[in-house]
Amino acid sequence: MQPIRTDFKGYEGKYVAIDARTGKIVIADEDPRVVLEKAKGRDHVAVRGRVPYADEPVHVGLG
Amino acid sequence: MRLGDPVFRPFVYVSLACGEQSTTLLEGLVDTDADAVLASDLLSEQLGIDLADNEGETPHAVGGRTLMARYKTVSLRLHPRDGSLREYREWEAQVGFVQGWHSYSLVLLGSVGFLDCFTVTASRFAQAVAVEDRDAFDERFGAVLSP
Repeated sequence: MQPIRTDFKGYEGKYVAIDARTGKIVIADEDPRVVLEKAKGRDHVAVRGRVPYADEPVHVGLG
Repeated sequence: MRLGDPVFRPFVYVSLACGEQSTTLLEGLVDTDADAVLASDLLSEQLGIDLADNEGETPHAVGGRTLMARYKTVSLRLHPRDGSLREYREWEAQVGFVQGWHSYSLVLLGSVGFLDCFTVTASRFAQAVAVEDRDAFDERFGAVLSP
């Protein structure tokens, strides 16, 4: 079983939704409400959250 | 990134439901350090929940900030790794909805409401999370009696 990788480059600062079968980002927006609305009812499409910028501190636990 | 390497988090696919309403599919972050299931209040909007009518409020210290969680009992659904919406295992739990939650996951799966319902194994080596029946722990390691 190979882990599914997602390439988040270019989506920094945006909320994203990912196709669970491929790991590809299929929805992205700076407003989480927009992502939640667009992902609603879409099979295999999961909303993750906000993609951090590279220079943001790495969270330890919940941030 | 940490020291040039990607940071991997233990996610599982979940959704929340209340009555006829349900959220979209979500990547829920498994967190053994959290005592509860916490979620963005954006999800309570999707569920049509009025958080003014809550079951209790608790402040939580998160990332140097204090966030207020308003708790409400809802259904949680655990979905398979391909993110199928039609397949799920459902249970009820109190979820603390937090205003202004803008993190890398909109749901945090902690001890009460998630880790007390399943046996969860996370492997950084395999880059995978396995969720099994709660009794799997006892079958693997023997029954552990709480003091």
